[in-house]
Amino acid sequence: MTTPDKVESLSLISIDVGSVNTRAHFFDNVEGRYRFLATGAAPSTLGAPVFDLNLGVLEALEQLQEFTGRTFLTDSGLLISRDNGEGAGANAISVTFAGAPPLKVMTVGLLDEISLDSANMLVRSSYFRVVDSLGLNDRRPPEAIIDAICNTLPDLVVMAGGTNEGASRSVIRLANYLALALNLIPEKQRPQVLFVGNEKLHDEIDNVLGALTMLHLSPNIRPYLEQESFGPARQALNAIYFDLQSRKMNGLLELRELSEGQIYPAAYALGRVVRFLSTVIDTPKGMLGIDIGGLHTTVASAFAGELQLRVFPELGVGAGLPGMIAETHLPQIMRWLPYDLPEDLVLDYLYNKPLFAGTLPSTPEEMAIEQAAARQVMRLAIENSLSLFPPNAIYPMPGALPWFDRILVSGSAVARAPRMEQSLLMILDAIQPVGIATVILDQNNLVNAVGATAEIDPVMAVHVLESNSFINLGTVISPVGNMRGRGNPLLRVQIVHEGEKEDVVEIREGTIKSIPLPPGRVVDIYVDPLQNVNIGLGRGRGGWVRRVAGGVFGLIIDARGRPIQVPSSLNRRQETLNSWQQELITG
Amino acid sequence: MITPVSHVQSQTTLRRRRLLPVEGLVLVNDGDAVQSTDHVARADLDVRHLILDAARSLGISADQANPLIQRAVGEEVEEGTILAGRRGIGSRQLRAPANGRVVAINGAQILLQTSSESSILQARVPGEIIDIEPGRGVTIEIVCAWVQGIWGNHGLGDGVLQIVGSEPNQHLTADLIDISQRGVILVAGYCDERQVLELAAQVPIRGLVLGSLTTRLFPVAQRQPYPIITLEGFGQVPMNSVAFDLLANHDGDKATLNAQAVNPENGDRPEVIIPVKEANQSRPPETVQPFRVGQTVRVLAGLGKSRVGKITGLLPPSTVYPSGLRAPGALVAFPDQGEGRHPLANLELIV
Repeated sequence: MTTPDKVESLSLISIDVGSVNTRAHFFDNVEGRYRFLATGAAPSTLGAPVFDLNLGVLEALEQLQEFTGRTFLTDSGLLISRDNGEGAGANAISVTFAGAPPLKVMTVGLLDEISLDSANMLVRSSYFRVVDSLGLNDRRPPEAIIDAICNTLPDLVVMAGGTNEGASRSVIRLANYLALALNLIPEKQRPQVLFVGNEKLHDEIDNVLGALTMLHLSPNIRPYLEQESFGPARQALNAIYFDLQSRKMNGLLELRELSEGQIYPAAYALGRVVRFLSTVIDTPKGMLGIDIGGLHTTVASAFAGELQLRVFPELGVGAGLPGMIAETHLPQIMRWLPYDLPEDLVLDYLYNKPLFAGTLPSTPEEMAIEQAAARQVMRLAIENSLSLFPPNAIYPMPGALPWFDRILVSGSAVARAPRMEQSLLMILDAIQPVGIATVILDQNNLVNAVGATAEIDPVMAVHVLESNSFINLGTVISPVGNMRGRGNPLLRVQIVHEGEKEDVVEIREGTIKSIPLPPGRVVDIYVDPLQNVNIGLGRGRGGWVRRVAGGVFGLIIDARGRPIQVPSSLNRRQETLNSWQQELITG
Repeated sequence: MITPVSHVQSQTTLRRRRLLPVEGLVLVNDGDAVQSTDHVARADLDVRHLILDAARSLGISADQANPLIQRAVGEEVEEGTILAGRRGIGSRQLRAPANGRVVAINGAQILLQTSSESSILQARVPGEIIDIEPGRGVTIEIVCAWVQGIWGNHGLGDGVLQIVGSEPNQHLTADLIDISQRGVILVAGYCDERQVLELAAQVPIRGLVLGSLTTRLFPVAQRQPYPIITLEGFGQVPMNSVAFDLLANHDGDKATLNAQAVNPENGDRPEVIIPVKEANQSRPPETVQPFRVGQTVRVLAGLGKSRVGKITGLLPPSTVYPSGLRAPGALVAFPDQGEGRHPLANLELIV
């Protein structure tokens, strides 16, 4: 990563409103570099009994004042000014938001695999739930389509279709159906429409729909058959998202005004950071980011600056747990528990948690259940993101993840684990990365703030990402391929530091091994596969891996294979899970 | 830190706004007395339409067909009614294929609404209509004793409260259900038997208020024809003592169970409403307040779930709990079983 020169930087407050917690982060210039200095946090107050998210924001800011000794709040409100003196207020503010239930959206396009697919991809990059999709191949009669629009009452219709040189009549026909439906919906409840199709049709679309509802025209997300372009449409979607949510959430409008427009969906901010990393780190591999929240989970990946972003609304570890439960068999949770717990007790915990989403595990057993649930939420998000990753990425085998260089994980469920080896194991068990990847933990829940404030000062993103505000858990080597069976020798690894060779370490299949390599230390390693497995150098091939960076757990060899198999019998399961954790504790 | 709140009130004045999802018709008047199951408004939902193309039916262009449309938006038509075309023997005509109402005309296209299902808005609480929002809904006021729940099966019912057993941890078993309970709302600690729920439906009871319900009964409970509310959630958790005492004081009184789903956006929660005389009516207490010593709180999760006690001290964020987590907390003194340390996140105010 390149480091910009010293800057006359701003002091920044970034507010992150989630479904459970609201955080206020403070960044300032310390000796010419941005530093993350403190976070104030409070429960979010979007819902009962407060119904105004700003009370949570104020509480978080008050706590930030306590921690920093700096005055942020006065009788006239939050002190934000470009020329604030030292010791008071901040020069700028940004806001990220992910606290609300998703908005309902209907997508309209021509062909399922082309424009409709692109429209769905666009809306799934933010906090929307697709309630219906309409395409030319839809077999429903037009009446049924109109009925569906009237009965689902979406908040927004996103309409794609036609390349800029392409179809027009079919697009207008679909717009006419939409117009008929809009006519039937009371004016105050009509969905807004975002048109992201053939740009040459803007005038005609305006004629058909403009008088009926708030119509937004954005550049085509599929200007050519082989090209997708989401950037401007995402920005338009963000603006509509906040416009619609501001009508539902008390306080959001004030927060938008306070931030002078520097307000973003949290997923968008994560996407910015992940894309940024892929532009500054020189690697053919991708970057992966995952943010596991109480209500939603976001997966962002980027390859050479191309971002893929997917929000899984109502899939989370709090109010979003029912989304996980609906797609999970209980053994998929039980397999991660190192305790002999009755199934009913686990079920009761999982069903109670959404009712009291802000509660904390109070015993080790409850903590284990919560961490098992977090694994499954991340696993589902990753599995459902496989189609998102570009086909031209490098995959070690069909159905596997592509190679990723960095994996950045955010979210309290992972970051607040009492012990860091628990965080690391949750990440590895859930994501099951392949090849060689560095795992970064967003222990301070900063990634959204960094993504948002990068709009104000891009240098900040670089400085904070380079600082120790993000925890480098270590570099993980995960061989994949057909393995012989648990206990067989799998790899030999030797660390070489400044010409000094350390002892060769032999890794057995089915184990996880941590080789001490402190943060900040960079070494070369020689890897010698003893089976026909691939670590990113080719099947069965070994060799030098240069400039491997250390981390909290040093160099981690995850020799558990993919997918990870956990023994089904209780005793062996306990023994296996405990041994994996113990290995990381003792190194 | 702002406290979450559950209400257990021996007497209060509640206002409940009931709004249609779409514009419709209000069926009651200001000042009317309503029962919980009364219909207060109605709207057309789940509509069905037919698109009729006059141009195609008449074999002419859209521009030519439009002037030949003989019905206007809003007109009710019967099957066979001429919608478009020239009058006279031998003229091509477009006729209504079913009874319905013309709801839109776009060029030569006529949109006929052929059917809809009426969505009925129930009062869901007994009381007096104190405000009408034309076309949208009403506000109802009632003076009552009030207990908020945390989960409901969406049902609604009125009946006489009957406490099963004498303790908040009463296990509701099949042998405690009998025909004498026909028409009553049962109150018990917890239930873990499918047979109990099914037997209660056969009696039939009018409702069930529980501390908790085991998760495996979740789908069975959702299917029952009577309302079910849990005050603590799922598991084998006893009812909190404050709610139990209040309900026990009203043993034999008529109550309404509004087992609506929790809606964090508008604050809807399932609730038990027991109408009382207007002797000393009061508004619900102030609910937005931070944790402080002396408050009565309920444990929401973890060790001691559902126990009610008083905060005797606040603990710093560095406080470590058996799970290994650090979080701000409180020392809570329980009337019968000493004192416990709980994260603030696991407590809520009972008022």
